[in-house]
Amino acid sequence: VIAAAAIGAMLLAAPALTPEALQARHAGARSLTADVVQTKEGRYWARPLTSHVRLRWTPGRVEWETLDPVPSTVVIEGDRVQVVSGGGSRDLGAQARDPRFAALVRFLRALAAFDLTALEGDFVLAWGPREVVATPRPGSSLSMVRKVRLVFGDDLEVRRIELESPSETTRLEFQRVERVR
Amino acid sequence: VKRNLLVAAAIAALALAVERSFRLEDDPIRSLVMADPVAAALFDRYQERSPFRGRIFVEMEGLPPAEQARLSETLARAGYREVPFLATPDPARLLDLASQLPAGTVERLAGEEALRGRATEILAVAALPGGGEALRQLEVDPLGVGPALLGRFLGVGKGGEGGGAPPRVFESPRPLVYAEVEKVEEALAALSPRVHYIGADFFAVENYRAVRRDVLLCSTLTLLLTLGLFLWFTRRWVLLWLLGVGSLVSYLAGVLAIRVFYAEIFAVVLVYTSTFVSFNTESLVHLSGIEEGRRARTLVGVWSAIGTTLLGMAVMLLGRSVLVRQMSIASIAGLLAFLVFLVPYRRTVDGIRFRTVPLPGWTAPRWLPAVLCGASAAGLILVGPPRVETRIDAFRYQSAALGREVDHFSRRLDAASLGDVVAVPAPGSPSEALRPLAAEGLLAWDDHPLARFQDPPAQEEALAALRARWDGARSLLARITESEGIRLELAGAPPGRILGEWDYLEILGEVGPLRWSDEAGGRRFVHAGLRRVPPDLAARGLVPLGPRTHYDLLLTDLSRQLGWLFLAGFAAMVVYLAWIQRDAARILYVFAPVLAVALGFAAWSRFTGTPLTIVHFMGFSLVIAIAVDYTAVAVSTDHGEVELSKILLTGLSAVATFGVLMLARHPILRSLGATVVAGALPSLAFALLVRLRHAPGGAR
Repeated sequence: VIAAAAIGAMLLAAPALTPEALQARHAGARSLTADVVQTKEGRYWARPLTSHVRLRWTPGRVEWETLDPVPSTVVIEGDRVQVVSGGGSRDLGAQARDPRFAALVRFLRALAAFDLTALEGDFVLAWGPREVVATPRPGSSLSMVRKVRLVFGDDLEVRRIELESPSETTRLEFQRVERVR
Repeated sequence: VKRNLLVAAAIAALALAVERSFRLEDDPIRSLVMADPVAAALFDRYQERSPFRGRIFVEMEGLPPAEQARLSETLARAGYREVPFLATPDPARLLDLASQLPAGTVERLAGEEALRGRATEILAVAALPGGGEALRQLEVDPLGVGPALLGRFLGVGKGGEGGGAPPRVFESPRPLVYAEVEKVEEALAALSPRVHYIGADFFAVENYRAVRRDVLLCSTLTLLLTLGLFLWFTRRWVLLWLLGVGSLVSYLAGVLAIRVFYAEIFAVVLVYTSTFVSFNTESLVHLSGIEEGRRARTLVGVWSAIGTTLLGMAVMLLGRSVLVRQMSIASIAGLLAFLVFLVPYRRTVDGIRFRTVPLPGWTAPRWLPAVLCGASAAGLILVGPPRVETRIDAFRYQSAALGREVDHFSRRLDAASLGDVVAVPAPGSPSEALRPLAAEGLLAWDDHPLARFQDPPAQEEALAALRARWDGARSLLARITESEGIRLELAGAPPGRILGEWDYLEILGEVGPLRWSDEAGGRRFVHAGLRRVPPDLAARGLVPLGPRTHYDLLLTDLSRQLGWLFLAGFAAMVVYLAWIQRDAARILYVFAPVLAVALGFAAWSRFTGTPLTIVHFMGFSLVIAIAVDYTAVAVSTDHGEVELSKILLTGLSAVATFGVLMLARHPILRSLGATVVAGALPSLAFALLVRLRHAPGGAR
């Protein structure tokens, strides 16, 4: 009985959060769609700004659609960044070539794809039981990020991301995540 | 047993010392430094500022995003970290260039439509996770003067310098793991031509790969051929044992001697050390089995041979090329260490006997060497000095695939007039210095940053427009951002200053990837990309900064110097042999085939239009160091049958050692092998087949 209980407990236990487990969870994904509630607080914000966002990811393309309070969409495709707002769209030409912004785009691409190899290029990753804390490597172009905390559920799906930068804290609550393989 | 143990202990100590201090450098290009300190400083500083060091560049625009992502992953796995094409410029320093924006551009930036557009962009970015820092840009530079300046002067946002999107940049891992670089190169080559790539790592790995293969192939073949020759000539293993262990001592001593003077040893020098077997064979064979009755004459021959070899190597120390100096140090130390190694085995060496080979021969009159030398000298004067030129391509290995990538990126740099950048001395203003070059059509003026330099009245106008429009623009942006719940402390108008051409180029060099001006040796220089390199580059005082032209010029200069050193070594050998041989006919006999070979090379160079390179001169030094030995020993020993057999053995061994270098992949080794074989074979044949008649009166 004890043995059966032990085996049952082992079978029911949540998988441990490891790079391999996370990579296995996200490997082969062809797309991801998530509803996210984003809260920003910091120096530039008169009061905490909460916005509702729909994140869409396919290999090579990330769409960050802010539904409210001010609808706009940022599309990252390769090195190209496009802002769609108020019926018009603008290519962020010069802005996208800014090294800091290019680093941010790279980070967001890696984050949306859960590309640990790419993330490790810029960050040192510390693995906890249900969270990963990423701190930029010395000399990284991502000087605008101090720390990123990724919290995962028992199913190894991302639940929350907290991002600290010198001027603000961003908290992302993932409410619905759909992944197509 | 004691002797062998002592030798083994000495070898172990040498090996330990080498193992502790050994550091390898794979790219021979790094051995090259310009002699002129001003030119060297200008080149080094230009390269330091250059974004090409420690990075690889990959153009992957031709790939769909998914494939781009996969390639990025491959690069990341190999330790390559993507970095921005441009380093983040200091915003305050960038705004020092504000006066260089045309007043019209300032008006456009301050217009309501542009300001609303900029606000939309930045607010959208600020809405991204971690994007709040974008708001800081709006604070310090509300109008977007910085991005406009980057676009105007660095092509940022308009495709970068050189047209087309700038390549993606990846910082190389340190230390470089060749196996990983090989994987990356294979992945990139498989995607070519949709993907283009360049970087010093690829040259390093290809040269490493070529040298690794060459070391293995050449050493194995040399060993087998020498083994066969020795066994056939001596029928004893002891000579082979002495040669094998002695060459190990030579190698270790040579490497240690280099280490005394240099922190790093070039890999190609290591391959070159495989030729020590040839020098050592000569010393060992000629010192072995000396017949008691002919001891004095034989020793004259042996010391003629060893002395000329050492002289030939020693003059190379006077050269400036680190690579050649390392080869020279290794050769001298290796040869001396081998001779020291033989001391405890002198009785064994004395007891060795050689198989004699009956060789046909023709006894030449004593005037023949003089006639041959005179004819060769006259021929050399008639043919005239050959063209001396060394290009960088002859100096390092690159695969055909990498060659195509070099061509691709060279075309891109040429299109941006950055292929052949030179430093132009400018005692007055930079534009005055460049005007004559532009007038000759050598310089694409429109591609030079000075073409976009605004004169002081235009700068005044731009600054006036900035001051006039700044506050209004600031108010509008404040209204837009406040309505979004954002509070910003928008900066006031930049102070702005009227810039001279030198200030302008200096700031541009600081904020951009390329230096456009410099000062060295108390002189000022302005940098400019040329459409074509004039042949009288040095006479005009222009200093090449582009690697291709710089190294071509440097190598050609080193080749000429090595040519003079070769002649100096030749003269030193003549003096040395005059002292040791004391007979004009004998001395002329020694040099007759070498002079004929020199004429042959000069004629080949002139009539085929092939320039002589630095590798040819290195080869010539080896030819006189090796080939002179054959004739010197032959004539010193009165063409004795045993000595001629020894010459046949050493000659065949040298031809085998250098002949196998012709199978090398590395161009330096291949060319070196061909030169030495072509130079040594006629000398060998001459020494074996042509005998000098005895002097009247029986003097020998």
